[in-house]
Amino acid sequence: MSEKHLSSQFDSDLNSVSSQLMEMGGLVETQIQRAMQALAIFSVTLADEVIQVEDRVDGMEVAIDRALTSTVARRQPAARDLRLLLAVSKITTNLERAGDEAQKIARKVKSIVENGEARDMPIGDLRLSADLASSLVRRSLDAFARLDVAAAISIVKEDDLIDREFKGFTRKLITYMVEDPRTISESLDLLFIAKAVERIGDHAKNIAEYVIYITWGMDVRHRPLAEVEAALRENQADDGPS
Amino acid sequence: MLVAGFCGGLFWDATPAAISLGALGGGALGLTLWLFWDDWRASLLIDWLRRLQNAPDTPPPSRLSGVWRMTAERLLRLLRQQRQQEKRFSRRLDDIRDALHASPNGVIMLNGAGRIRWLNHSACRHFGLDETRDIAQTVTHLLRDPVFIAYYARRDFSRGITVDSPLATPGRPLRLTVRIYPYGKKSLLILSQDATAIERNEIMRRDFVANVSHELRTPLTVLSGFIETLQTLPIDEDERRDCLARMARHAGRMQNLIGDLLALSRLEASPPPDSGEWTPVRTLFSACAAEARALSAVAAKVSGAAQPHEIVFPSEAELDAEIAGSADELQSAFINLISNAVRYTPLGGRIEIRWTPTLEGGAAFVVQDSGPGIAPEHIPRLTERFYRVDSGRSSESGGTGLGLSIVKHALQRHDARLEIDSAPGAGARFAAIFPAKRIRPI
Repeated sequence: MSEKHLSSQFDSDLNSVSSQLMEMGGLVETQIQRAMQALAIFSVTLADEVIQVEDRVDGMEVAIDRALTSTVARRQPAARDLRLLLAVSKITTNLERAGDEAQKIARKVKSIVENGEARDMPIGDLRLSADLASSLVRRSLDAFARLDVAAAISIVKEDDLIDREFKGFTRKLITYMVEDPRTISESLDLLFIAKAVERIGDHAKNIAEYVIYITWGMDVRHRPLAEVEAALRENQADDGPS
Repeated sequence: MLVAGFCGGLFWDATPAAISLGALGGGALGLTLWLFWDDWRASLLIDWLRRLQNAPDTPPPSRLSGVWRMTAERLLRLLRQQRQQEKRFSRRLDDIRDALHASPNGVIMLNGAGRIRWLNHSACRHFGLDETRDIAQTVTHLLRDPVFIAYYARRDFSRGITVDSPLATPGRPLRLTVRIYPYGKKSLLILSQDATAIERNEIMRRDFVANVSHELRTPLTVLSGFIETLQTLPIDEDERRDCLARMARHAGRMQNLIGDLLALSRLEASPPPDSGEWTPVRTLFSACAAEARALSAVAAKVSGAAQPHEIVFPSEAELDAEIAGSADELQSAFINLISNAVRYTPLGGRIEIRWTPTLEGGAAFVVQDSGPGIAPEHIPRLTERFYRVDSGRSSESGGTGLGLSIVKHALQRHDARLEIDSAPGAGARFAAIFPAKRIRPI
């Protein structure tokens, strides 16, 4: 977002939309972090905080969409600017959903605490991927701010790690449930949480993909990673299109 | 040149008019030649100036002469002066920059539009920023904590805020106090400071007060229970004696606790002990030996076991040194270590106390027991106040939970350190290691 336009007003419009998006991102980031903390120490107060922030996130989503519509209508952007605005719109959606997942985790944590605790369950594994997911969200937003394609690609890669962790965790929960049917209800709660964590990772990955889209104009969704990486090398060789 | 014209005139004709005409023509020719020559010298100078831009030390060309040479030399001198001054300035700038980088506090400079102009290493470490790549970034795009954004947007910088670093994880907390200072024309300076330790201390202080209250309340509750019993229930003489004995024990526990608390606060508040006062190790050890045997005998009597601990002290001949420092504090540290060993080693177990020289020329007071040992995760926390590996056992055997804190403090004041070496089932070894300057032979 550092390229100059003839109209500096347009520049400041774009910058203000980005700022709004980043502010929303910050909100969702803390929401996710709080949810993970609530999970780590089974705290109802933290879980409540997460749930309360949800309204603000929704409000920001609406505000950003409105700003986007008016910018597109007034400026009729093309090329990279258009891509930026389109990507902002999609990233907003992804952020809002990631926030929703954080809220889901918070609700589950509350219900676990209220129904007596799942102390003996394998929570440690879950925390690991939860930390990973929240760091992915942070790094994907950093990548957007810096339009850092290399960082975006490494995020896309790391999301696979979370997916694998999720599968492993599911298997572990199944063994628990088979061994002792009394753990089924807690296991299901944990499974929901693990699924939410995995979804947060996916949203981070989507955001990273839009970062690549903005800078290169290349839609990397549903494309094999090797191809994207080859393109990265090519782009680095001739300094990248924009 | 006029001479040249005049000569030309001579050749041409002899009439005075012709001569003057010839002189004029010759003068013009000479002037033209001179102009060309002058122009050539000027172009030499320009060429040289052009080359100077790439190679700053090129000398002026030797063909350059006269006023042009003087100009070139003057220019060269001026340029050199300027370059030196520039070097001086940039050195000073580098110096200031390095000093800012060395600061443990994060520094971020923002321009009027809220974009990062410069930031130091600590700021990178605190916020996960990149020193070169993040220049000219809008700061709120990277520092996205809602608390920070609200603070930044409010533009009221009269006080700071405390936020979690973006890099903080539950396992590795990093709390930052952040404050913004406006400077110059609309520029802002963001200062960040690692507040993790401060916050941890605050929590420790709160925990300490809570712990003390808890430790005092338990015996107090028991005491008041017995008082109520004595006041309201008709009980016979035996029961009454039993009641009083228990009350005495709990009162004793409270007394111990308060004694230890006072000892700790004395250690913290008083000036460091006089290092000119020397105490023979022999004196310290004989007091320790008496205390250790008494403790073991009491333990044996209370539990009704046949034999007390086997306690081994070094022979007097080995104790041929003196320690510099306060005899009382050292005594209490040593006795605390020994009483810990007595308390945690099962009766009949072996406790060995040694005095050994260290490789660095100092000496160590070592207590080795054959007790159950300590799991590794507890060892770093043992000297924390009220930290207990097994809370039930410790207080029932009369511990206050402050013993090792007292030991640590007392040793620190004597430049000594406490080394704990243990594994479950392998006994424990506590060593107080004194540096060479605190020890002298008799």
